[in-house]
Amino acid sequence: MTKFSRESQLLEPVARFAKRKGFGLQSVELPFYKYRIDLYGFSHKNDATVAIELKLKNWKRAVEQTMIYQLCADLVYIAMPEISARRVDKSELESNGIGLIGVRDSGTCTCVVLAKRHVEVHLPYRQLQIKYLKETVSA
Amino acid sequence: MPEVPPAVILRMGSHSEKEYIEKTLKQFDGVMVGANLLQISPGATASLLLKLHGICGRPYYVDPMTYAFGSYRDPDTAKVRDDLDWIKSYQKIPGKKGATERKFKGSYRKLAEYFGEPFSTALDRGRAITQADFSNNKVVDAACATIIEFQAERLRSVFREDPQTAALADDLPRPKAVFAPYFYIEPAHVKHWLDLNHRLALATTKQCKDIPVHVVVCGHLDLLAHPDLSALVVKNLLECKPAGGWLWFSRFDERLASKEELLALRWWVEQLSPTMSVFNMHGGFFSLALSKLGMAGTMHGIGYGEQKDVVPVIGLSTPTVQYYLRALHSKYSVLQIQRCFTRLGIKNPEDFFSKICDCAICKRIVGAGLNEFPQFGEIHYSTPNSKRAAQTPAAAKRCRYHFLLNRIKERDRVQRLSLPDIANECAASEKLWSKTVIGPSSEHLQRWAEVLTAGD
Repeated sequence: MTKFSRESQLLEPVARFAKRKGFGLQSVELPFYKYRIDLYGFSHKNDATVAIELKLKNWKRAVEQTMIYQLCADLVYIAMPEISARRVDKSELESNGIGLIGVRDSGTCTCVVLAKRHVEVHLPYRQLQIKYLKETVSA
Repeated sequence: MPEVPPAVILRMGSHSEKEYIEKTLKQFDGVMVGANLLQISPGATASLLLKLHGICGRPYYVDPMTYAFGSYRDPDTAKVRDDLDWIKSYQKIPGKKGATERKFKGSYRKLAEYFGEPFSTALDRGRAITQADFSNNKVVDAACATIIEFQAERLRSVFREDPQTAALADDLPRPKAVFAPYFYIEPAHVKHWLDLNHRLALATTKQCKDIPVHVVVCGHLDLLAHPDLSALVVKNLLECKPAGGWLWFSRFDERLASKEELLALRWWVEQLSPTMSVFNMHGGFFSLALSKLGMAGTMHGIGYGEQKDVVPVIGLSTPTVQYYLRALHSKYSVLQIQRCFTRLGIKNPEDFFSKICDCAICKRIVGAGLNEFPQFGEIHYSTPNSKRAAQTPAAAKRCRYHFLLNRIKERDRVQRLSLPDIANECAASEKLWSKTVIGPSSEHLQRWAEVLTAGD
C-alpha cells in the first residue's frame, strides 16, 4: 500500500527532487500538442530539459507518453510511488533511454533508472517549450 | 466468390465539406448525402449535385436516414431510449435572451413532415417509431412510396419549384439506387426490428422497378457474428432480391475488431455478394481488400467515418484530424509519426516519400524539409479565451486531402494486387512498424492478413 491515491500528490515531491537536480525553471501541465506534460523543467546550467510523467500504476501507458515527450525534452522520466516502481520492467525503460523516479511515502524521491540523453529530440519543439517555460514562469 | 473492382463512396456530412468533394470526386466512385442535409438545405444540395454531375458524372445516393426516428441504445448508459433525444438540440427561445430549450433539429422535423406518418406522429408524440406503428400494410406501402419518391425526385423537384431553375430539373440524373426505409436493429427487440425492416425492404423492392433498390442492415455489433440472427438476416435479404446490400454494424471498427468479427464480416460478404452488390456503410482498407471476396465497396467521410456508431457520442470540442498512415491503414498523431523517423531511418524528404507518403500534399509540405512535417498537426488557440490549443483549419485541411489522396491510392492498389499479395503487404507492414513507438497499434494488420487468407 502507498499513501498516494492521486497522481497530483506525486507532483510536489517530484518537483522538489527535479529542482535539487538543477531543473530550477519548471512548469506543470505544459501543453505539447494534444498532450499535457505533467512536469517540464529546464536547467540553465546544464542546458538540459526534462519531461516527467507522473503515474500511480500504468507504467506502460507512461512509456508511450514519455517516448513522445522525447521529441521535446533531452531527458524523460516516469515518476511513480516506490512500490509501483518496483514492478516496472526496467530493461524496457533502459532500452528507450527513459528514466524512473520512485517516490517514497515520506515524500523523498530516488532515481531508480537514470534517463539517457537521446537522439529523438526535435530542436524546434525543444526551443518552443523552453520559450513557453520562460514566458509563463516569468509572467 | 466474384472479385469486383472496389468502389469508394464519399459521404458528405455538411456543406462545409463541398470543396473536398468538388475537387476529388472525379477520382472516387460516388457521393452520398443524408436526407436530413437535403431537407435542411435543398437548394444548395441540389445545385451541388448538379454541379458535381457536370464535373465528373459520378453517381449519387440519398441516405433516407429513417433509422434516426427509431429507438436506440444510449452510448453513455447502454440503456434503450425511445425519446428521440439524439435528434434534438438546444435552441434559442425567441424573445428570451440567453434562454434555450431542447427541441427537434429543424432538419429532422422537416424530414418527418415530408415522410408523413408514422414519422411525423413520432415527433409529435416525442416517442420513437415502433413496429406497432407499421402494423397496417397500407402504412408500410405508403411510407415506402414516399421515401422512394423522396430519394428519386426530391432533388429534381427543388429545381422545378423555382421557375428560373425548372429547366435544369431533368439535367440532374436520378440516384444510382434508392434505399428501402431502415431502422436500427436494437438488440432488446431484435425480432421486431428484423421483421419490420424485412417488410419495408420487400415493399420497396416490389414498388420500385425503375431504379435499383438497396437495403441497409443496420444493427448492433452483436448481430455481426451472431450465427442464428445473421443467417436470418441473410435469408431475408436473399428473399428480397435487392440490387445492393449495405452493412452497418454500430461500433464495428475494422482496426479494433477481433478476428472472429472480421471473419464474420467476410462471411456476410461471401453469402450475399453472389446475388447483390455488398457495401460496407462505414469502412476502410479492410473493406476494400474484401473486394477480392466480393465486397463491392465502402463509404466514409472526407476525413473520418471509417467507423460510425448509430448514435454518435458528441464531443465538446472539434476532433483533431490525424495524419493517415497508409502503411498501417490507420490514423496517428503527427508526434507519433515523427517519433518513428529515427527507427525507420527517415533523415530527409526523399526517405519520407519512399517510406511514409509521396502524395501531392506531402510533397508540397515535406518537400520543403522534414521539419515541415508538423504542419499537419499545427495548433493554435482559436479564441483569446480558449483554454486548449486546437488544430488549425489549415492543418486539418492538409490531413483531409492527404487522407483522400491516400484512399485513392489504396483502392487502386487493391485492384492491382492479388488477395495473397494484399495479405502479405499487411503482414510485412506490421512487422516493419512493430519496431516503432506505434507498433502496438499495428496489430490489426496481422489479423487482417489472417482473415483475408483464411481457408486458402
